[in-house]
Amino acid sequence: MTSAATDYTVDELMAVCISRLVQDSECVAQGIATPMVMAGFFLAKMTHAPNLLFASAIGMALTTHWSPLAISAVERGLQDHILIAPSFAQLVCEILPTLQFKEFLRPAQIDAQGNTNNVAIGNYHHPRVRLPGSGGIPDVTSFSANTYLYNPRHGRASFVEKLDFISGVGVGPEEERRRLGIVSPGPRALLTDLGVFDFEGGRMRLLSYHPGTTIERIQARTGFPIAIASDVHETPPPSEEEVRLLREVIDPLGVRKLETLGGADRWALLREIAQKELGTDAGHG
Amino acid sequence: MLTSLHDAVELVRPGDMIALGGTTLYRRPLAFVRELLRQGTGDLTLLELTAGLESDLLVGAGRVRRIRTCYFGLEAFGLAPMFTRLASQGAFEIMEETEGSLAFGLRAAEAGIGFMPARAWLGTDMFKVRPDVKMVQDPYTGELLPAFPAIRPDVAVIHVPVADGEGNAALYINKAYDRELGLVADRVILTAEKIVDSPKELGSEIDILGRRVAALVHAPGGARPTSCYPHYALDSLAIMDYIEACNRGEFDHYLARFLEQR
Repeated sequence: MTSAATDYTVDELMAVCISRLVQDSECVAQGIATPMVMAGFFLAKMTHAPNLLFASAIGMALTTHWSPLAISAVERGLQDHILIAPSFAQLVCEILPTLQFKEFLRPAQIDAQGNTNNVAIGNYHHPRVRLPGSGGIPDVTSFSANTYLYNPRHGRASFVEKLDFISGVGVGPEEERRRLGIVSPGPRALLTDLGVFDFEGGRMRLLSYHPGTTIERIQARTGFPIAIASDVHETPPPSEEEVRLLREVIDPLGVRKLETLGGADRWALLREIAQKELGTDAGHG
Repeated sequence: MLTSLHDAVELVRPGDMIALGGTTLYRRPLAFVRELLRQGTGDLTLLELTAGLESDLLVGAGRVRRIRTCYFGLEAFGLAPMFTRLASQGAFEIMEETEGSLAFGLRAAEAGIGFMPARAWLGTDMFKVRPDVKMVQDPYTGELLPAFPAIRPDVAVIHVPVADGEGNAALYINKAYDRELGLVADRVILTAEKIVDSPKELGSEIDILGRRVAALVHAPGGARPTSCYPHYALDSLAIMDYIEACNRGEFDHYLARFLEQR
């Protein structure tokens, strides 16, 4: 590996952290609108995990192939590289429970035990913000041994003492989980733009803080007390080669950055990407 | 079998549970929805794996009484504007679903039984908002699991990249729950990008069996501005135009323009 990078952005650091959490020959799945995760998976494939099996939410296909991150050209990128394009019912009922894909879920709210909410903010029946919905999170958190959480904008709006709705199950007392029939151990780890965490001991625990932040700052931006691992340390930075691969090979359009931006900046980047894709062979006709 | 969009839409009755094929921004039946909006059919229950632009138009136009889906949004482009706004006002009922409750519900309908059990929803608040979903005891292990009730839509509308004249169709990718919908819906309507002479020309094995198809419409471009692989890609700028119009409070104006198209 090349030397440590000094010029990198937080979306690149997060993609590198995702890559480090992936081992070779694993089955990995990408959810809706999670390009940072895809960037991390592809980076892993290009560095230490050449034999990954990808489940792509867009296209609903299994493939071992990667193609540069895109918005409108994702389907085109899969062409000629599909191992199987199952009915989504086949995927949900047969393939996900058996292969147990490694998946990074991005919830709107997370509590100290790693329970999550993607359904509604405020009262369920009169929500302050109705969110898109839970997707398959209430399903996979019942059975999967390979779920991870991530949040690219760590703040007290997301990390709350009490969820407005539990749509994904975190960690908890073993006896109660057995009683409920939950065979998943809960989320394995959590990655944010501030640090890397797990839920060992039953509470969100800081494993490493990203360069440029502090434990105090992370605690201040979390709506409940977090635990600190005894060997807590600074997150190792990306290598120069990892940053180059992300910028030049995996994601020249910068799609991954949509996850860390908000408001007008995000909208401007979306428009820029859409216009660039029009100029390429994205299949517009 | 081969009919006009106008006549196919007449198969949808007010109050129907209508399943819209495809997923979020891929292979959505926009041409059909345009004609459905024109004919004014309302009081609908939408059933979808994921709901996107086509459903936001129906919701914004006040045609939807109830929504059954696990995701209603516009993916990278953000929240679905009319759904999000009207949900806070309680303008429609949301029947909270997940990938699992939909998949196992459709499989129960396929099998002709009342439910399918699955290891899902355990420890979540889903049961609080879906009191109709009961638990069932595994007679072999004693384990308690949710029994997802069978889902039998009145109508399924599926836009397909290619069909033959008998209504056999191939989907290639992004198959969503269309194979299942094509088997269990009371009335199956296909809108097809391309109609070929024989099943040998579909370019893949059949995903939708023509035997259960009630109406087939030739509708090239019928998924635009969503994608129809391999014919055309998602039109990102058109999705952004829609969101910007809604953000300016101009949904009605957008809808009027949408209805004027073709």
